[in-house]
Amino acid sequence: METAKILVQGIVQGVGFRPNVYRIAIKHDINGYVRNLGNVVEIIAQSHDYNDIEKFISEIEVKKPPVSIINSIEYSFFESNASFSEFKILESSNSFSGTSVIPPDIAVCENCLKEMRNPKDRRFNHPFIACTDCGPRFTLIDSIPYDRNRTSMDEFPLCNECMEEYTNPLDRRYHAEASCCNTCGPSLQLLNKDGVDISFKHTNLIKKAGELLNESNILAIKGIGGTHLVSKVSDDDTVSILRKRLTRENQAFACMVKDIESALEFCEINSYENEALIAKERPIVVLKKNSNYNLSKEVSPLLHNIGVILPYSPIHHLLFDYINDPALIMTSANIPGEPMMIDNKDIVNNLSKIADYFLLHNRKIINRCDDSVIRFVDDKASFIRRSRGYAPAPYNLNEYDKFKSILHKNHNILALGPELDLTFTILKNKMAYVSQHIGNTNKFKTYEFLQDAIKHLMKITSTNSFDLVACDLHPQFFSTQLAKEISNKFQADLIPVQHHHAHGAVLAVDNNIDELIVIAADGVGYGDDGTAWGGEILYSDIESYERMASLLPQKLPGGDLSTKYPVRVMTSLLYSKFEKNELKDILNKHYIDYFKHGAMEIDLVFKQMESNLNTAITTSAGRVLDSISVALGVCHERTYEGEASMKLESFAYRSNNDKLKIAPEFIEIDGLLRLDTSQILYDTLDLVKRGENKKDIAKAAQDSVAIGLAKMALIAANKKDVNVVGATGGVFYNEAISKKVKETVERDGFKFVSHRNSCAGDGSVSLGQAIVASFKL
Amino acid sequence: MKIGMNHGAGGEVMGDLISQTVLNNVTKKIVNGGIGLDSLDDSATIPVGDKEIVITTDGHTINPLFFPGGDIGRISAAGTINDISVMGAKPLAITNAMIIQEGFNIDDLDRIMKSMDETCRECDVGIIAGDTKVMEQGKIDKMVIVTTGIGIVDKGKAIRDSTLNVGDKIIISGSVGDHGMSLMSFREGFGFDTDLVSDVAPVYEIVEAALSVGGVTAMKDPTRGGLANSINEMAKKSNVGVLLEDDAIPVKKQVHAVSEMLGIDPYEVANEGKVLMGVKNKNASEVLKAIKNTKYGKEAAIIGEVTEGNRVLMETPIGGTRILEAPVADPVPRVC
Ligand SMILES: [Fe+3]
Ligand SMILES: [Mg+2]
Ligand SMILES: [Zn+2]
Ligand SMILES: [Zn+2]
Repeated sequence: METAKILVQGIVQGVGFRPNVYRIAIKHDINGYVRNLGNVVEIIAQSHDYNDIEKFISEIEVKKPPVSIINSIEYSFFESNASFSEFKILESSNSFSGTSVIPPDIAVCENCLKEMRNPKDRRFNHPFIACTDCGPRFTLIDSIPYDRNRTSMDEFPLCNECMEEYTNPLDRRYHAEASCCNTCGPSLQLLNKDGVDISFKHTNLIKKAGELLNESNILAIKGIGGTHLVSKVSDDDTVSILRKRLTRENQAFACMVKDIESALEFCEINSYENEALIAKERPIVVLKKNSNYNLSKEVSPLLHNIGVILPYSPIHHLLFDYINDPALIMTSANIPGEPMMIDNKDIVNNLSKIADYFLLHNRKIINRCDDSVIRFVDDKASFIRRSRGYAPAPYNLNEYDKFKSILHKNHNILALGPELDLTFTILKNKMAYVSQHIGNTNKFKTYEFLQDAIKHLMKITSTNSFDLVACDLHPQFFSTQLAKEISNKFQADLIPVQHHHAHGAVLAVDNNIDELIVIAADGVGYGDDGTAWGGEILYSDIESYERMASLLPQKLPGGDLSTKYPVRVMTSLLYSKFEKNELKDILNKHYIDYFKHGAMEIDLVFKQMESNLNTAITTSAGRVLDSISVALGVCHERTYEGEASMKLESFAYRSNNDKLKIAPEFIEIDGLLRLDTSQILYDTLDLVKRGENKKDIAKAAQDSVAIGLAKMALIAANKKDVNVVGATGGVFYNEAISKKVKETVERDGFKFVSHRNSCAGDGSVSLGQAIVASFKL
Repeated sequence: MKIGMNHGAGGEVMGDLISQTVLNNVTKKIVNGGIGLDSLDDSATIPVGDKEIVITTDGHTINPLFFPGGDIGRISAAGTINDISVMGAKPLAITNAMIIQEGFNIDDLDRIMKSMDETCRECDVGIIAGDTKVMEQGKIDKMVIVTTGIGIVDKGKAIRDSTLNVGDKIIISGSVGDHGMSLMSFREGFGFDTDLVSDVAPVYEIVEAALSVGGVTAMKDPTRGGLANSINEMAKKSNVGVLLEDDAIPVKKQVHAVSEMLGIDPYEVANEGKVLMGVKNKNASEVLKAIKNTKYGKEAAIIGEVTEGNRVLMETPIGGTRILEAPVADPVPRVC
């Protein structure tokens, strides 16, 4: 008799891993058992034939369930006294202390869809069909171990037929916690805008919902991790009404399409994007509009791209049977900056002035989880938001070289992120669990959501306390205040981490490198000198950083006000380049409409520049792009995050030549090299004056910022003798800028790195804070 | 460590200075069981017989000395009168200590004294003691006035700033931000030809009107740090939350315009003639009516209510509910 003990690590719980092992064991005539020990699965395999065991082991790896992730398989043969007569799945051992890894939510699988479409199947048209390979998980789970009675499916006791599947190791639904059917599963409800249930009037609620959408109604549809506001896309009036009701003036809406073919009607899709669209995580993918694009101009105004997502809940699939439009707007149902609504009562109460009808269901959403958003930048996937489908799958820091030196340290760290686009991270056993998207924490409901979500993730990761709490350096962020409270509560050390240091740490770990020059370009991050950074060249070895260069420090007349009205930043940038009256004349002649209070405001901005009344100092790259945008008349008011610079990118994208150049110039101030952003603006205006094509100017100005940043990085790389330059920060969602930086860096023989499995924007800042803090122990 | 400007700007830095260096060094901070130094209320009290003497003191520096709507004389009188008034006490008298720079124009001093007197006469307050010092050029900037206010209230009837109750309505006696915004514009030479003036005025009539109705649970005058600072302080000391309604808070059109041009929040700048109060729900509309009948209370409004919790929240017409914080001295941009 040969006996082997096999230990498998990874996402191996709640994904049908053990029954899969069972099936393979039966196939190869293996006796023994399989059981869960936390995030490790233990298998004892016994057979007469050594080769059968070897085959068994290799098949475990090759034929693993689609949702599982195997980080490692270790095995050894040993002399066993026991003799097994069969192969068994043993109950989870409660004694484990390891960290259980909860798999994220997965789009409904092909097998389930086939059953759902089969009139003879008992789950024909079942809107909640799921199996071990698919369906909601994180959004349903309350605590661990992951068993049905600790999920919101607990309210739906399995019928006999479902129970049979659930308890049969050979069935696809063996221990599928979200499994249910038309008999025992959750049910849909259709409500009118007054919250009155009108379900009884209709036999097929999804069909009715489809008809209502075709008739230009706006529906709130409760889904997997939250609620969407849904409307048709073909009709300007309908989309405008949705905008008005949501007070969302310009920000683009994401659309859901039935399938890839429908998306191809209005988008370009390359093979990478195609793959991402159909991936089981099912993110929104930002695609370029094609020349046949004919959705309402209100869907994605003035942008060259649009967010597209394929159906992921069975409800979506069924809904599209009845939809006439090529796509549906699917936007999160929330007050801007506040969390998406998940509770039926809240949905009806808070959206009564926005939605005309509600298609709800009675399954509780325990963990709210927004749709994830990916954009491909230079054919590389770039997370704009890493949430549903990904969270809370952890980053395994054991895999990174840099962490080898601190592997012996094993502390719990909570990192609270910045303020907008916040996520938080729990780092435990060198596994970094980055939360779902939380949002803007100066909104009270978001702040409460953050606190709830922390409690939940602590529960799910069995974390009882923290040794360290990391936060942003910004003293006024609400997340910083919360970090103080939590660190007091657990008597943990508080570690404030500089914003761009955190950005850079993520970038380094994501690429498994130990030191690099970081180009961090974004809106605002509190600098260690108390000014607002955002166009920085840092040297970083992950643990620490050194500021090497930056954009020219500029005044922001009115502080955050100038973020809303970029013409104020533009005025500030040009202030040093003109004689005062000359600049005033230019502003009064060409830009006066962009000042809400006209000439009087122009005077005031000038006086502020002199008196320094409420003029914070910034090196933000975002603000520079905003001011180029307004200088070219592209966008003069920000109604959503990144609006002016996103529109600038789209505007420049339409330039079809390279003939204009704005050469970046540098100045040394306070011992640091600075890109003269005032000069870029001055040259931009000069090209406008000479009557050049504005799209070409936009391109040249954008390039100038990119080349300027890259050149400063190269100088720093030479100085520090490192050969890797990386780019991070929201500015690098801009494809043109990313490409230009990469090209400039690589032309000089340096290696260029960007984010892979993390966000360039603030969604990964908490991960970076946790990484930096882990070296502070 | 040395004193910086932010040590006098309200906020955390100043709070630390006061608790560590000031409060820690004082031994006897309460007299006869009255309201003492540690309360950091608008005034202190000393119980005597069936009354309490209410007392407060305030140093005034302001640049410029004369500004639209007032001058240092008026503000020095109103400042202490108001701190007495918002204790629910009748202000009786002030004392006046002036430290004046050598070379100061006597005509100006004459104007300042007349203005101080006029302000006191509005609510029948005497100026009953004083001191005048002169310092040489360069040692002081123009003048500093220190006034002490004395008032009286029935024993146990003083109204605190720490006694809001869940369910109370919050009333503000008029538009906010007038003083801070007008002074800022004037000082920076922003030369608006508008009627934007400081609201500096004694508020006793307002307080008297409110108290005559009854149901007032807490009061404060929202001076430095404005409404945002005062309401946060009241909520924190009272251990409650407050929900304000953005739309309900009166802000003058000109104040709003200036705030939109300077990027400064009208809720965060000083008022010198306003009262912020908590009133029992059942008395709120009556109290409001009474305040509206007073000279300086015509624009009074109910702006929110006291809730469970420990945060001051602001419901905005669009964009949901945000957290309203006490302002900090030097805001750093946070919008990414
Ligand atoms: Fe950032
Ligand atoms: Mg006071
Ligand atoms: Zn399935
Ligand atoms: Zn069933």
